[in-house]
Amino acid sequence: MTATAPPARLMLAALLLCTSAGAAPFAYITNQGSHDVSVIDLASQRVVSSIPVGKSPAGVVASSRAGRTFVSNPDSKTISVIDMRRQQVVNTLPAGDGPVGIDISGDGKHLYAADWYSSRLLVFDALAAKASKPLAAIAVGRAPAGVAAHSDGATVFVAERDDDSVAVVDTAARRVAARVRVGSHPFALLYDAPRARLYALNVQSNDVTVIDVRDTRRPAVVATVKAGKAPYGAALAQGGALLYVTNQHEDTVSVIDAASLKVLRTLPGFAYPEGIAAHGDRVYVVNWMDDNVQVLDAATGQKLSTIATGQNSRGFGAFIGAPMEP
Amino acid sequence: MPTQPFSRRTLSVLLASALLAASASSQAHGPTRQKVSEKVTIEAPADAVWAKVKNFNALKEWHPAVADSPADKGNAEGSVRTVKLKDGGTLIETLESYDDAQKKYSYRAKDGGALPVTNYTSTLSVVADGGKSVVEWRGAFYRGFPNNNPPPELNDEAALKAVTGVYRGGLAHLKKMMESK
Repeated sequence: MTATAPPARLMLAALLLCTSAGAAPFAYITNQGSHDVSVIDLASQRVVSSIPVGKSPAGVVASSRAGRTFVSNPDSKTISVIDMRRQQVVNTLPAGDGPVGIDISGDGKHLYAADWYSSRLLVFDALAAKASKPLAAIAVGRAPAGVAAHSDGATVFVAERDDDSVAVVDTAARRVAARVRVGSHPFALLYDAPRARLYALNVQSNDVTVIDVRDTRRPAVVATVKAGKAPYGAALAQGGALLYVTNQHEDTVSVIDAASLKVLRTLPGFAYPEGIAAHGDRVYVVNWMDDNVQVLDAATGQKLSTIATGQNSRGFGAFIGAPMEP
Repeated sequence: MPTQPFSRRTLSVLLASALLAASASSQAHGPTRQKVSEKVTIEAPADAVWAKVKNFNALKEWHPAVADSPADKGNAEGSVRTVKLKDGGTLIETLESYDDAQKKYSYRAKDGGALPVTNYTSTLSVVADGGKSVVEWRGAFYRGFPNNNPPPELNDEAALKAVTGVYRGGLAHLKKMMESK
């Protein structure tokens, strides 16, 4: 029985290392009306910084690995790069005609942005120190919105909103390797790595398409789950047991059992909810209409507190991260 | 030899593709949604104010710019209201949700109406504040021109100005009507 002791001790050591190496996590909320990012310290549940970025910031990805947060600014056609330790913009990347959804590779080296107006997926060097051109621009379908990077580091999913499909992009070959039809007007995507599943949120058909992507060359729709009106953002909480979905035109949040794909409950009382992310036992919902973030207990969905943000807060993407030690 | 920059054939192809682009983008919109939220406090009980505005077809009763506003299914979800403006414009709006207990309703406008907006949704609500009431009118929309580099009459500022004008005009008139009794 002593055989279990070393791994347990190792695990504890690894856990302690993680805790001490990583600073307290922050939530980076893009504010499309005030052209800035509200930084919420999740330890104190307070806004600790408001960072001016480009015009009308929408998409966001906070990369703990890169120690940077990336923000897409569709109206200034740039991506602002925020250093998580200094909480300030350290670089601005020119990004096509109107970048929206963004995500980053698991190793924190490559940044992907959907270029809405020109139907391309742009690939950037996430660690670039200076404004530099994309490494690649890969043609995708019309009005590309949400972007989700596969954990394999070679595949990126793109929601092609006006084509009602999701593209599976092979980033090495720089082309769409496969395509799957989803509901009407997919906007946000969420990748569920442990289940090798992708969720596409269909704004017009009011549902979530669940796609099996174990074989990325043959993505297969396994279920379509009815959500509320205009499902917009998604997050997995409680160790992946619960899928939370914001319903923009219904001012509600759907809580879905990620195993059975049954809607467990629909939480009322939001205001044009958009971005959503989970951390620990909390879920953070961004209310575009009310300019705030509501903090929920992930297990019960109960509202715990409200944090004021900048104007027209959106938080479209994985907005929570903590800088790791280099 | 060619003195014109485009041959006739090239021109017709360009024209056709421009028309195609225009029709394809009629459902689309850019990535930056705008909002307007206007509130007014009225010296009248919430029940009385709600009674004035509660019917989806009652816009003509209290909005000074509206000539007529018939709704085909009353206050049932899905009811379609045709708003005829006194200056000649028209808006087609569909009731998306209706809550008599909470004194609020939401509707969505069909694109291409009298306002320079697309994907327009709106909510009107009445909340009691002691013996007074607070009426709030909120809208979410995109500018009229869905693509990059909009002309001035269809840009974000034009959309914000137009919707703000509709809400302020309506709420100010409602306040005047309710308080003059």
